[in-house]
Amino acid sequence: MPHNTERLGDLIDSLVPVLVERLHETGLGEIEIERDGAIVRVRAEDLGAAVASAPAPAASRGGTPAAAAAAPSAADDRRHPVRSAAVGFVKLAPDIHVGGKVAKGSLVATVDVLGVAVEVRADHGGIVAKLRCASGDPVEYGQELFLLESVGEGKL
Amino acid sequence: MIKRVLIANRGEIALRILRACRQLGIEAVVAYSEADRESRAVLVADEAICIGPADAKRSYLSAPAVISAALATGCDAIHPGYGFLSENASFAEAAAAHGLTFIGPSAEVLERFESKAGVRALLAKHGLPTIPGSDGVVADEAAAAKAAAKIGYPVILKASAGGGGRGMRVIQNADDLAQLFSLCTQEAQAAFGDGSLYLEKYLVDTHHVEVQIAVDKAGTALHFGERDCSVQRRHQKLVEESPSTALTPKVREEFLARAAKAIGAAGYRNLGTLEFLVGPGGKPYFIEINCRIQVEHPVTEMVTGVDLVALQIRLAAGELMPMTQAEVERRGHAIEFRLTAEDPVHEFRPQAGEITTFRSPSGPWVRFDSHLYAGYEVPPYYDSLLAKLIVWGNTREEAIARSRAALREVEIGGVETTRDFFLGLLETPSFLNGTATTGMLDAIGTADILAAAPKARA
Repeated sequence: MPHNTERLGDLIDSLVPVLVERLHETGLGEIEIERDGAIVRVRAEDLGAAVASAPAPAASRGGTPAAAAAAPSAADDRRHPVRSAAVGFVKLAPDIHVGGKVAKGSLVATVDVLGVAVEVRADHGGIVAKLRCASGDPVEYGQELFLLESVGEGKL
Repeated sequence: MIKRVLIANRGEIALRILRACRQLGIEAVVAYSEADRESRAVLVADEAICIGPADAKRSYLSAPAVISAALATGCDAIHPGYGFLSENASFAEAAAAHGLTFIGPSAEVLERFESKAGVRALLAKHGLPTIPGSDGVVADEAAAAKAAAKIGYPVILKASAGGGGRGMRVIQNADDLAQLFSLCTQEAQAAFGDGSLYLEKYLVDTHHVEVQIAVDKAGTALHFGERDCSVQRRHQKLVEESPSTALTPKVREEFLARAAKAIGAAGYRNLGTLEFLVGPGGKPYFIEINCRIQVEHPVTEMVTGVDLVALQIRLAAGELMPMTQAEVERRGHAIEFRLTAEDPVHEFRPQAGEITTFRSPSGPWVRFDSHLYAGYEVPPYYDSLLAKLIVWGNTREEAIARSRAALREVEIGGVETTRDFFLGLLETPSFLNGTATTGMLDAIGTADILAAAPKARA
C-alpha cells in the first residue's frame, strides 16, 4: 500500500503522544497499532521513539516471544544511528530534536576538534527518534549521536 | 602534578603505561582506533576513547584527534608511548599549547635533538666519540683521499643527500677510491640531485649498544646501564640484553658515565637512549639518540629494579631525580625476546588473524609483557609485536637457560610467530658465546637457526 512521507509523518504526530501515554499508564513493554496499512509500534525501552513500519510479515509478529525478539523486525531495518565523525565536543543542528525531520545528506551536527568544526551529515533521511547526546557533550569517534527512523523514501 | 593521562598508543605499551599510571595513583584513559576496540588495554582500562578509524594517519598519528581526545576526557597529560607521535616536536608543542603535559622531552628539546648530523656534532662537542669521518662534504677526489688516509681504510662514501641505507659505497683502499669517487658523485647526482659526498670510517662486525639515560628538569643526568641489541634482522631488533658482551668492565663504566654527563650537558631532558656502534676494538661510537621510552626498556628494569615508565611520568610532571647514580645498582643479566606475528620460514612475512590459543610463560624472574588473549584478532594495520619475553638470571648463562625453559612454555596459536626462531637462536654458538654482531643473521641465515631449534613434542 502506497504511503507518502507526509501522511506517515502526520500519523506519527497524532498517534505517538497518545501511545506513549498509554504505555506509561499500562506499564506494558510495547504497544502496536495499525492505521491505513502502516503499523506504529512504541516500545518501553525506546520511550519517546516512534516506530513506524510497513505491514510486517506474519513471521516476525507471531511465534514465541523469544523467537520474535531474536528475529530482527522490519522496524529495526529502518533505524539508523547517526555517528560522530571525530573525537571532540558535539554541537547538534537546531532541527535535531525528537520528532525533527532530517533530509538525507543534510548537516545534522558538528564536532569541534581543537576549534575546527568537523561536519556530521545524515546518511539517511528520517525522523529523529532518540537523542543520545546533547550539544556541548564530549563525543568519541563513531559514537552514536542520535537515532533516525527512516520513513518512506517511496518504500512504504 | 599529573592527575589524568591519555595513553595515545596501543598493544603491549598501552598496557605497560596503564600499569605505571595505576601504580602511581594516576587516572588513565586509553585512546584507541576502531581496529583496537577489543584490545586488551581497552578492555582492562577504566576509561577508553575511540579517536579514529583503523588507519593510523587518522587515529594514532593524528595530533588533533589525540589532543582533542585528551581534552574531551579531561586529561592533563598525554603519554605517546613509542613510535607514532612519540618524538614529534610539533605534536609536543601543540599539546603544551592546550595545557597538556607531554610525557617526554619538551618540544624545544625534541627539536634540538631532531637532526642526526646536528646531534652527532652536539654530543661530540660534549665529549662523546662519534664515527671518525671527513669534516663535512669532501670537495673533490684529492680531499677525499686525504680524509680517508687520516681516518684509515675501509671507509664508507655517503651521499650527503642520501639516507635510509641508500647512496653509500664501501671503499677498501686508495685504489678503490681513485676508481670510484667520480662514479659515486655521478650516482648521487642522478639519484638525489646532489652529487656531494662525505666519508666515514666503515665499521665491520659491530655490536649495537645503547645507553638508557634520564635527565630531570635541573639537568641531573643518570644512566641505567647499557643494552646490547646486536641480534637484528634488517635493522629490526629481535633480542636485547644487558649488560653487553662487547664491553670490558673498565670500558663500560667510563663509557656510561661519559654518556650521562654529555647528554645532561647538551640540554636533553626526560627519558632517552643513546645508541652506539662498538667495533672489534671495543670502542663505542655514538650514532643517534631516541627521545622516547623504548620497546626494550624492560631489560634495564630487570637489572636495575627501576620502573622506567613511572620515572618518565614523574620527570615529565616536574619532579627532581628521585635517586642518585650510586643508588642505581645493576645486578645480573637480563634478555628480552620480541615475539612477533611474523613467519620466520617465509622471510618473516607479517601475519594477522585470530589468536586461537594463548599460553603465557611464567616462573622465577620471567616477565611477559603482552596484550594478547585467546580470541583476540591481530589487526593487519600496525606493527607485528605480540609479546615481549624478558628473563633475568644471576649470570648470562643462567638467563639463557631460563629463557629456553620460558620460551618452551609460550604457546601462541592462530598466527606464525618468531618463537621457534628464538629457540634456535639459543642453540646458536655465536649467540651463546656473545660474539653475535649486527651482521650475524645475514651471515648464518634464518633456516640454519630454525633448524637448530629443539623439536617440539609430537
